[in-house]
Amino acid sequence: MMILLTGGSACGKSSYAESLCMRSPTPRFYLAAMQPYGEEGARRVERHRRLRAGKGFETIERYRDYGSLVLPERGTVLLECICNLTANEMFDDEGRMTDPREKVIEGVGNLASQCVDLFVITNDVGSDGVEYEGSTAEYVRAIGEINARLAEMADTVIEMVAGIPIVIKGKIPQ
Amino acid sequence: MILVLGASGAGKRAFARSLGYNDDEMSCRIDSAAPVLYGLEEIVRARPEGSEALLETLCKRELVLCCEVGSGVIPDNLADRVFREAAGRLCVLLAQRAEAVVRIVAGIPVAIKGELPCARC
Repeated sequence: MMILLTGGSACGKSSYAESLCMRSPTPRFYLAAMQPYGEEGARRVERHRRLRAGKGFETIERYRDYGSLVLPERGTVLLECICNLTANEMFDDEGRMTDPREKVIEGVGNLASQCVDLFVITNDVGSDGVEYEGSTAEYVRAIGEINARLAEMADTVIEMVAGIPIVIKGKIPQ
Repeated sequence: MILVLGASGAGKRAFARSLGYNDDEMSCRIDSAAPVLYGLEEIVRARPEGSEALLETLCKRELVLCCEVGSGVIPDNLADRVFREAAGRLCVLLAQRAEAVVRIVAGIPVAIKGELPCARC
């Protein structure tokens, strides 16, 4: 089963996703796509580690190329998050840009084929009304389209608002 | 306490008026005794650090109105990122404590926790 969770910053996506994962089969893998930059990034990673502590997740840091990832066992996967993965697939370390869409979709499809339950966290980046230039505009558009395709693949789509899950598609897994 | 969320201009104060609160009963100041507090996001923006300490004061209000500020591209500016996170986390805490949470979508109140409140009196 695939569950897509969306919502703004600090709306409780991660902790809710983790609580849903606790009802899903072990082993549980947390796939971290965020490359932590600087002190702020380190603090964010630390906060997420604290949230996950004691929940039995094995953390796998992987910034891109999810299409070739082989998971050690079938179980539950929590992928966090599509915005980071898309940025990492779109811009390489030298800043060169490629279209991230197919790689992200193929990567998530590869994860889905190797686990029982897949939880994918994303964010709605296209609704701030700001007109961005160049690569940022392309990034926003790519995430919008990727989210739509992931929602098609997903059994359940949940929007989080202030920690409250709002079901957009399917139903919350029991 | 009922938490009312929604985008800027979505109709949060109009919703409060529809419940029977007049404008004199609405304030954007944290130290006011008005039953309705609006613009919580601006209070957080002014002092994002430690904004969780406002929780108890806010829970004494009848209505707390706050803009949803967490969507869109993550801002370049650190202060903007800190503000968005602080506002988001405070709303999660408020929502846990609230009897009801109402999200205003294009002027339409949608109860996302509890029931839509009835008008006063």
